[in-house]
Amino acid sequence: VERTRGEEAAPAPPALGSDDRGRLGLFELFVVFVKAGLAFGGGLGILAVLEDELVKKRRTLSPEEFLAVYGIGRVIPSGTMTALTIAYGSRFAGLLGTVVALTGMVLPAFVLTVLLTAGYGYLREGALFEVLPITILPAALAFILVAALRLGKHVFRPGFDLILAAAAFVGSYAVGLNTALLLVAGGLAGLLFFRGDRRA
Amino acid sequence: MSLYELLGLVFTFNVMTFGNGPVMIPLLQESLVEQRGVLSQDQLLYAFTIARVTPGQANVYVASIGYMLFGLPGAILTTAVILLPGYLMLPALRLYRRFSAAGAVRGFTRGLTSASVGLIFAAVVNIARTSLDSWIPWMVFLVTLALAQLLKLNPIISLAVAVALGLGLRFLAGL
Repeated sequence: VERTRGEEAAPAPPALGSDDRGRLGLFELFVVFVKAGLAFGGGLGILAVLEDELVKKRRTLSPEEFLAVYGIGRVIPSGTMTALTIAYGSRFAGLLGTVVALTGMVLPAFVLTVLLTAGYGYLREGALFEVLPITILPAALAFILVAALRLGKHVFRPGFDLILAAAAFVGSYAVGLNTALLLVAGGLAGLLFFRGDRRA
Repeated sequence: MSLYELLGLVFTFNVMTFGNGPVMIPLLQESLVEQRGVLSQDQLLYAFTIARVTPGQANVYVASIGYMLFGLPGAILTTAVILLPGYLMLPALRLYRRFSAAGAVRGFTRGLTSASVGLIFAAVVNIARTSLDSWIPWMVFLVTLALAQLLKLNPIISLAVAVALGLGLRFLAGL
């Protein structure tokens, strides 16, 4: 039911990073990325907002494409969210879009950082530093989990996808293996296992 | 130390750590506090504390260091140099697109996305271990999760409830 967008482009895989711009003007792009930049919880908090805005609400991206861009973004040495911001800025509005999206993304953190630095001394003992860990930060974690559950929906059923996800989880969390290594290993395993699978 | 030197250091450390803000701290500590002595230990810690209480990317705290040493231009330029390497994403995507029609790449992508889901969950558990360090954040986390996941409540309303709950519980715990 959710595959209607994919069917138009069939049999090609998701139009990753394609020049298919549209549906998002510069201003809307800016608004989406300011919202993302306002998210707490670091990169995953930002990811949760982008998933909500671009995949769930606007349906401009399929969950599969969103996850694939995320996987590629993780191996870019700038921070994953910077890479995603540039990918989507470019996709929806070209090179100017990357500047607009990046500006929106860093604006909230930048303005607050400069203000708090300028207020160095006044704020050192501030109540803000005490209150955030028991209010906004645990709430942000809950939002992240909700987005992660939604993104992983197609993975959470018996099958090789689930095995791969579980292996990556264990490799990262319990063994502490390098992220890029795990992604490439997951890709290679998928390449071998899903060979000839038309749905892949 | 010149502004260019600071920008060079921040750029290098950011690339070395793949934009991981917390991992950059020991590198900045060694080069700015210990070797060059341009920043005090307290200043660096303050910059990092800001990173934890501001929204958005966790490496934007370098703007705080830029501001301390060179004012607003320092803040703007240090932020710009941590974003710049992200443009490598564009050739990476182009490369991917060129090969994505091949069936092998489709299998690779599916494996990559499944592994991504596992990595996201690993990161969630990692954050949970450090941030859910007592019963109050646990309660706030679980209630927000129930509101957002089960009741599908609007994030703003869920967030407002979470803040009220956290403050309320702290007040009660202090009685």
